[in-house]
Amino acid sequence: MSTTEAALENLRIIRSLMEKAHIYRAVSAPAALTGGVLALIASAWPVWHALTNHGEAAMCDRCFLYTWLAILAVASVLNVVLLAREATRRNQPFVSAGMRMALRAFAPPMLVGGVVGIGLIAFLHNLTLAALIWALCYGLALLGTASFSPRSLVRLGWAFVITGLLLFVAWAVNRDVDLLSSDLSPASLVMGITFGLLHVVYALAVFFSRKPAEVQPE
Amino acid sequence: MIDFDQLDKLIHEKGRLSIMTLLSTRGEWAFQDLKNELGMSDGNLITHLRTLGTATYIKETRDESGTRPRTSYELTAAGRKAFKNYVEVLGEIVKAAQQT
Repeated sequence: MSTTEAALENLRIIRSLMEKAHIYRAVSAPAALTGGVLALIASAWPVWHALTNHGEAAMCDRCFLYTWLAILAVASVLNVVLLAREATRRNQPFVSAGMRMALRAFAPPMLVGGVVGIGLIAFLHNLTLAALIWALCYGLALLGTASFSPRSLVRLGWAFVITGLLLFVAWAVNRDVDLLSSDLSPASLVMGITFGLLHVVYALAVFFSRKPAEVQPE
Repeated sequence: MIDFDQLDKLIHEKGRLSIMTLLSTRGEWAFQDLKNELGMSDGNLITHLRTLGTATYIKETRDESGTRPRTSYELTAAGRKAFKNYVEVLGEIVKAAQQT
């Protein structure tokens, strides 16, 4: 092997390892777009219904919970399928070191958000606080992956945390929401702005910033 | 003419090059994660890590607080500089070959 060939070979090793190890996108853009669009549809209807029917709730509290669990399931399954396809394309195992790290970072805030949020809806009937906690915990989970995630995902995490906190302050300060017969519409609004709008913006930002595939050296 | 004499021989070995590359990508790597990613045996990986540690290119940290002790590794400032120089020399070799 000539000096140049050996140098090229070592550069190839470095590039391939860096590609494998450096960045792990735990939330794929098409899954975020699908989840975001579903979230926008699921949140728009209760808000529209409340506006046109004097604040009347479009569904029961448990139906709200089941709707969002169904959207979570659809988006998660799609995300897993897309991550598996990406792993195959890169000739990597599906459960890579990146995925293990992402799961380790995701699990604690998602567990807290999941249990507290479901508890708030099922037993305390506080849908808005549950939606805010889901948004904040999801944002914190994304920020937990900051050391190995692409910048767009870290920005999404910050967007969830900042938007979640702003919405919390707006909700806590404005006690007119107590006058509503059901807090389904403010909860849906929180879900639509965070899980709907922010995911759609994230997906579009990833699609538009994607660089054309690099030309491989012969 | 640039040649391999200018390359850091310590990093140039494929196993150690792979370790240095992974450590350069993010702050800290656990021994088990390095082993899984590189597919090396324990003995082989330990030998390379010792060599890099002796050259002060990497730093070892042992965390005994959990139920199982966890050893992790990260690049030192000297290691990061050496790796950067190594990649630059490789790039110059390739560039010089393309110009001739």
